[in-house]
Amino acid sequence: MGSWAKPFTVQVSDADLELLHKKLELATFPDELEGAGWDYGAPLADVKRITEYWRDKFDWRKTEETINQLPQFTTEIEVEGHGSLNIHFVHQKSAAENAIPLLFVHGWPGSFLEVRKLLPILTAASPDQPSFHVVAPSLPGFGFSEAPTKPGFGGYQHAEVLNKLMLSLGYNEYVYQAGDLGHVLGVYVANAYGHKHLKAWHTNMPTYRAPTFWSNPLLILEIFTNKAVSQTLEQASRTWKKGGGYYMVQTTVPQTLAYSFADSPDGLLAWIYEKLARIVDDYHWTEDEVLEWISIYWFSRAGPGANVRIYYELTGGNKHDMFEGTKWTSVPLGTSYFPKEPIRFPKSWACLIGKVVFQAEHDKGGHFAAHEQPEKLAGDLRMMFGKGGPAYGIVPGKDGYA
Amino acid sequence: MSTSPEQPFRIFVPDAELELLRLKLASTCFPDELEEAGWEYGAPLANVRRLVARWRDWFDWRKAEEAINADLLQFTKDVEVERFGVLNVHYVHRRSVRENAVPLLFVHGWPGNFLEVRKVLPLLTASERDQPCFHVVALSLPGFGFSEAPGRKGFAHKQYAELANRLMVSLGYEAYVVQGGDWGHYIAGSLATYYAHTNVKAWLSNYPTALPPQVSTTPWKWLKNLLKPYTREERERLEAMREFQTKGTGYFHEQATKPQTLGYSLADSPVGLLAWIYEKLVSWTDGYPWQDDEVLEWVSIYWFSRAGPAASIRVYHQMTSGFEGPPAAGVRWMSIPLGFAAFPEEHNRVPRRWLRTLGKVVFESEHSRGGHFAAHECPNELVGDVRRMFGKGGPAFGVVPGKDGYAS
Repeated sequence: MGSWAKPFTVQVSDADLELLHKKLELATFPDELEGAGWDYGAPLADVKRITEYWRDKFDWRKTEETINQLPQFTTEIEVEGHGSLNIHFVHQKSAAENAIPLLFVHGWPGSFLEVRKLLPILTAASPDQPSFHVVAPSLPGFGFSEAPTKPGFGGYQHAEVLNKLMLSLGYNEYVYQAGDLGHVLGVYVANAYGHKHLKAWHTNMPTYRAPTFWSNPLLILEIFTNKAVSQTLEQASRTWKKGGGYYMVQTTVPQTLAYSFADSPDGLLAWIYEKLARIVDDYHWTEDEVLEWISIYWFSRAGPGANVRIYYELTGGNKHDMFEGTKWTSVPLGTSYFPKEPIRFPKSWACLIGKVVFQAEHDKGGHFAAHEQPEKLAGDLRMMFGKGGPAYGIVPGKDGYA
Repeated sequence: MSTSPEQPFRIFVPDAELELLRLKLASTCFPDELEEAGWEYGAPLANVRRLVARWRDWFDWRKAEEAINADLLQFTKDVEVERFGVLNVHYVHRRSVRENAVPLLFVHGWPGNFLEVRKVLPLLTASERDQPCFHVVALSLPGFGFSEAPGRKGFAHKQYAELANRLMVSLGYEAYVVQGGDWGHYIAGSLATYYAHTNVKAWLSNYPTALPPQVSTTPWKWLKNLLKPYTREERERLEAMREFQTKGTGYFHEQATKPQTLGYSLADSPVGLLAWIYEKLVSWTDGYPWQDDEVLEWVSIYWFSRAGPAASIRVYHQMTSGFEGPPAAGVRWMSIPLGFAAFPEEHNRVPRRWLRTLGKVVFESEHSRGGHFAAHECPNELVGDVRRMFGKGGPAFGVVPGKDGYAS
């Protein structure tokens, strides 16, 4: 169980800032094919522009100050077989006493900052809307959390950290919201702690392992009869082909990639920015926003190379999918579909994940729903957990109403 | 005129570039590593740290440069390629003392380079009494080593073939044979596709990989492939190929789809480039005892390359149309003699009958040791194969008219 949480502020050392600037001064760019656009990856003009902004204009100290407006803490969490990890997290309580405890889990290349825009909406106390006490950790190896040091820190180990974190804060029963890897870990948390601690959860990236003819014949047959389903799968296949290179590298040789990430700020920038720019829906990242995001990786406690290891650990080095060892649970599940989420699963397949009690579909938004469309996402949570909603009062004694 | 006269070339990296590398190496930041990770997660930290320290403090590039220039007489030549204008091509060229030596083009791949010809060059060009000998041209592929890179999209099978063929013809080699592995295998196959018989008389690949027979193009071969069982060895190799596809092709997928994204790291970070390449040098070879300076020399060719290290990986994108199709799709079956030198630790080894989709296979060897970089790891074995294929009594003896490689 966790010890008392200590308040935390981000405080990058002057030495680290200086080293970053030294590297930015020495940044060496590749050339680019004529008319490459986005066909070969992040365009040179973009990466150069953002790197030069980083070097000359980006004010990390000002950004740090803004980040530190978020109430942050660290606490020690024991993980069986892996010792104790110091875990960093944001924790903001609602004024409403019986707000619903909600665990928000980021993914890759995200961070705890993804909770930022949701916080004021979710924690606002109101007699008309449910409100939440929100906990948003940095996953082990990300942001300001320590990284595991031994191999084998997989889905159930992450779930252990997440569950213990909530328990350590006095939230014996809680709900959960996530996308990307946070969604994957949600499946593990539901499997390990469903009903007992995790009462319900919501995902903005509802995926799971694909059905087989033997497990779900009707879903397989639907591929041939339902155009929407076959189109979704075709799109998924195209997305994998064109955009899955990072996954193949990160699941198999994360250490080899780590050398680049740890040594080249613009190399790290390009790898992450390629995703940030492409998997959103008409969202215009400012240089400051991108760089704040990248800086969380560059200045992360475990170093920029540690985070990609999670891909290897969750897949056994690409031996299997990320959901290995999990199964369907009856923990109530809410799903939200955003049109530009690249990792798509036919809606009829969501029932493979868990007991779907809520489904919302939006006409705008991409992969980083909490960051791009916080009102829509918060709205979905309010509908799911609010009065009349399918998960109203799921946490006994904490229905979220002032 | 589609080529310019040959210009002698010596590698000389400007001092400013050496200084920039030194500064970058001096401010290298390393990641952490899991306990007892070994090679499981990629290139091990201890190895990479050691290599970087050596690169920073001990490795003498000027000495290496001098040795390369002394061992390998190099040249450059402008070669025109349709739609791409003129590209300046860097190459090694050594003629045998025997006038009628067989002209041979040696083509490297990734993460290889023209230095791969270094050990086989003296053996191939030596005029030994009962062995055929060769005039050897070993180019740096466009975007590699000291060759210019294409500036436009679409430089693929046809263009590599056109460039290489023009180079050979401009050197007086109207008819020649080709040897290559990795991309060199596909480029040799492309040379056969476009210039078989007219210029390219035969090719020997040390990368025995191919697609299975397709029902649409070779229905009989496809049927026979379905019906005839594989040997145990072939089944094991197919299993090894599946394993490699799952665990060892991340680099391929990324380089074939997002070479630019990866390129920023490779261009900016010496340790990033080193790790990316070193991991393949070790995992693709058969226990080859890489010396640190050997690795650093190899990586330096990439670091100091004319077009920069990011340009070289574009070949994956161009030759697969952005991961839309396999590189073998650009190679057509031709009836010129085709040989395969097979080494046990090579990846993507396919059943022998699949190899027959690439050409008229007249020669196959099977060695007991060696991996992907055959010319570098097992120069004697590879040269032995070349000699057996093209020598007296061999299946491709005398393919180049008037140049059988023997004393007249």
